[in-house]
Amino acid sequence: MTVNREASGGETGLAGGAQAPSAGPDATRAEAVKSHKSRHWGEITLFTGPALVIFATFVILPVILAGYVSFFHWDGGGDLGKFVGLENYRDVLHDSVFLKSMRNNAFIVVMSLVIQGPLALGVALLMNRKLRFRAAFRTMIFVPYVVSEVIAGAMWRLILDQRGILNSALLQLGIFDKPADAIGWLSDTKIVMWTLMFVLTWKYVGLAIILFLAGLQGVPDEVLEAAAIDGASWWQVQRRITIPLLGPTIRVWMFLSIIGSIQLFDMARLLTNNGAPFDTTYTMAMFVIDRAVRMRQYGYATAAAVVLFVISLVAALLFMRFVMRRDNETEGGAV
Amino acid sequence: MSAESTSVVVPAAKKRKVSTIGAPAYIAAILAALFCVVPVLYVFYSGFRSSGQLAATPLGLPKPFVWENYTSILGDGAFWKMMFASTFIALLTTVGVVLLGVMAAYPLARYAFRGREGMYTFFTAGLLFPITVAALPLYLVLLKLHLPGTPWGLVLPQIAFQLPVTIVILRPFVKAIPREMEEAAAIDGAGRVQFFFRILLRLTTPALVTVGVLAFVGSWNAYLLPLLLVQGSDWTTLPLGVARFQTDKSQNTALILAFLSLAMLPAIAFFTLLEKRIVSGLTGAVKG
Amino acid sequence: MANMRRFGVFAAVAASSALLLAACSSSGDDKNNNSATNGGNGSQDDAVTITWWHNATADPGLAFWQTVADEFEALHPNVTVKVEAIQNEDLQRTRIPVALQSGEAPDLFQQWGGGEMVAQVADGYLKDLTGLVDDDVARLGGSVAPWQVDGKTYGLPYQFGPEGIWYRPSLFEQAGITGTPATLSDLSADVQKLKDAGIEPIAVGAADGWPAAHWWYNFALQSCPTDVMQSANSSLDFSDACWTTAGEKLQEFINTQPFNTGFAATSAQQGATSSAGLVANGNAAMELMGQWNMSVMTGLVDDVDGLLADLSWFPFPSIDGAKGDPTAMLGGGDGFSCSAGAPDACVDLLKYITSDDVLSRFAAEVGGIPSAPAAQSAVADPTLKTIADFMGKSNYLQLWLDTSYGPTVGGAMNDAIIQLFAGNAAPADIPAAMTAAAAQQ
Repeated sequence: MTVNREASGGETGLAGGAQAPSAGPDATRAEAVKSHKSRHWGEITLFTGPALVIFATFVILPVILAGYVSFFHWDGGGDLGKFVGLENYRDVLHDSVFLKSMRNNAFIVVMSLVIQGPLALGVALLMNRKLRFRAAFRTMIFVPYVVSEVIAGAMWRLILDQRGILNSALLQLGIFDKPADAIGWLSDTKIVMWTLMFVLTWKYVGLAIILFLAGLQGVPDEVLEAAAIDGASWWQVQRRITIPLLGPTIRVWMFLSIIGSIQLFDMARLLTNNGAPFDTTYTMAMFVIDRAVRMRQYGYATAAAVVLFVISLVAALLFMRFVMRRDNETEGGAV
Repeated sequence: MSAESTSVVVPAAKKRKVSTIGAPAYIAAILAALFCVVPVLYVFYSGFRSSGQLAATPLGLPKPFVWENYTSILGDGAFWKMMFASTFIALLTTVGVVLLGVMAAYPLARYAFRGREGMYTFFTAGLLFPITVAALPLYLVLLKLHLPGTPWGLVLPQIAFQLPVTIVILRPFVKAIPREMEEAAAIDGAGRVQFFFRILLRLTTPALVTVGVLAFVGSWNAYLLPLLLVQGSDWTTLPLGVARFQTDKSQNTALILAFLSLAMLPAIAFFTLLEKRIVSGLTGAVKG
Repeated sequence: MANMRRFGVFAAVAASSALLLAACSSSGDDKNNNSATNGGNGSQDDAVTITWWHNATADPGLAFWQTVADEFEALHPNVTVKVEAIQNEDLQRTRIPVALQSGEAPDLFQQWGGGEMVAQVADGYLKDLTGLVDDDVARLGGSVAPWQVDGKTYGLPYQFGPEGIWYRPSLFEQAGITGTPATLSDLSADVQKLKDAGIEPIAVGAADGWPAAHWWYNFALQSCPTDVMQSANSSLDFSDACWTTAGEKLQEFINTQPFNTGFAATSAQQGATSSAGLVANGNAAMELMGQWNMSVMTGLVDDVDGLLADLSWFPFPSIDGAKGDPTAMLGGGDGFSCSAGAPDACVDLLKYITSDDVLSRFAAEVGGIPSAPAAQSAVADPTLKTIADFMGKSNYLQLWLDTSYGPTVGGAMNDAIIQLFAGNAAPADIPAAMTAAAAQQ
């Protein structure tokens, strides 16, 4: 038995409701709306106005000002200095450190999706029933997300340092003979990216689980039970029905995860002390901040920031267009 | 969606499911919860030890219980001042984000108008630029408005930067509210604005709580903007305190852990209190 | 596609408002507008408030500066001093640059001299103290040089000292080392003895970048003739072959693996696992570090007296056959500058801070080597005395290279040096990176 999701012309969503049949009511609606067009625009302005104003003033405006700076060699003080056109951009795209950090970010994007997605999905699917202590479980799972990056970074550094808590414990348990034998979780160039992924998973998988659980609330019980009655196993039900219905939520999560991975800064910086060892964990955002704050090359840094922005924008647009397209389509009718 | 297969067979099916698949569910939940919570618990109870204890036996339990770390921090007026500042700013940010976010999400989800997708893209574009680079020009903008040193100087930009995530999450929720609700309201003579305030807000409460929690947490944990705007003033926030504490007392690991624990508590408490709301709200939305 | 067109409309609107705002907020007029104080040069009788930013966020420094501020207020009843202590990195990288740029600069603030100060002078942010502090400059002597540009004084130092190698004599004894190494080959031999005894020879906080970079600075100082070093400070010319020789010698040294395990992720000062912490707790024998290291290390152990009894220092060893001056030392310090719009009282406060009396008390209560020679006799600790002595005997004192060359060249230099440590760069890449960065300015 299949569910006709597209019945009302694409009304999908995280919380399912009854799906209205198309035709009749929508056509009448269209005529009614045409005559209220000006009130229509008034309402739109009322609702979106405050958000637009605040957003434009405090986000877009500084971003544009920052972008303007990217055409100069500015050191952060006094006047803007020499106008150099696109030279900063050209240098950034040839900068071996920037390119390396791009590769690092790509690794983080992919691994975050691959590790956290299935893990969170599995946990959410298994937890999606009337468990006792459900609220307690949810709270505990979300705790890492709630902890600030400053605290999380400090905490994991204390634990994972060469002579930190983990290695000291392993030393006591006899797994190593002396401190110098201990594993360099944060200092071994071959391991450190995986350590970073571990800490990132710890911090952010909770968000994924909570989002998926919220989305699962919208999957109607009747559908699942009907399928079970028809003889489908639990796994078949999940695979054929639940997961597809969870699609929009999964896609929202993927979007947020990809963008977050591209812009990763606080956690990685605090954990690895700015890209140590030797730039192995250096991200593009760290590159931008270092060039601006430490080396006072604000023009160069904002050019890199704009490149970072463009990468994020392209990723976002591609994702929205090809993956989330079904979720964003308007309903049939002029409303 | 077929209406036949609902009521009659449901109770039997449910019972069967819970008893056979219950165990993996609990195992998954417990493992996930432990994975997430154990490091944090470690930080909490380590605050009750001295740094010497920590150095000697990293994984041990407090022996003896050392209260001084926590009491010295709790007895420090400066700590409570930071706590108040963080709370005040976070609450204001949350209210602003939730209100403006759901207001903006409503037309983006339900109205059809030219430029709708463009506006949505406009908001999401803001997600994509790292705040850390926009911070300096942002500071200049705030300066023109005479905002540094005031809580509004933090609240307004934080609202602005949190709006994209909020709208991205809220739009599908608002979209999923059944058309019948709106049509019923229209038949009763209520306009869209009234529909919004009377009905929609209540229906989307669980989603609002979710984005509210995200906004609160984001504001609570913010570091860079407060560093620029309120450090050293009466409104200095907890993360600044944490960073400063860490460098000042870098030798006293146990004390730092105690401070970290106390700094984490409010955000965790806030989420815990509202967690029940999320749960009941979500089940409520599905049922009716 | 339609979406992009809509986006374009919004972007255009935002852009035009941005340009409007940019036109109105041209930075030229706003700087030096010191609204934080009753600025201007009013007569001494008017009530004046001075804001003072420094980096001593912990005692004893924190308490000491507050006492100094209180004393100054007592001496000048019409002046109020508002002190703010800010963490060092935040202060240098964020707070001060933002405050100067926005025109809301504090009156008296931390100043490290060198290239960064040169930039501040060029932007007109600092008060020219020439003529107002001549007697102080004469009294403080050679250490003032980094706080001067083209012969004009823009700040005064309160502490200044060279760096060298701190070590634990007991660990040396354990490894069978007598005395301290005078040359690089001696040092390498000692490193080997320590390794044989199972002791980590040298701790370096390479995660923070600059501690590793200081190794190269000292190799450069030993490899380059004094005139080359001296002229490079202003010319930023790194074409001499000695800059590459420095890297080659360093690379040889690095290849003997003298550093602590996992040094790439070791911080300089944070906690017991930092490089300072390792030496302080006896887990490593040596560390190359500045004169402040003693106060850092005492903060990282419980048994302070035990540490102080077993801590000593020797200057960076000379390199056989190298062209540099073997007595040359690398050093630096801290000072304060007044912002351009600060009231006259700011200069008085600065003079008070750097007076022999205050600096003597600084040496006794806070530790560190004061800039005033007369106050150096107040240095009690024997190790610090040793350091001050060597400083006196040195023919040439070079300011930290990254401070001297400014943040752009300095940052590029430090990054290139780290890559040398990683084995990812060649010795010649370091001067190449520095030259490229210099061209960017």
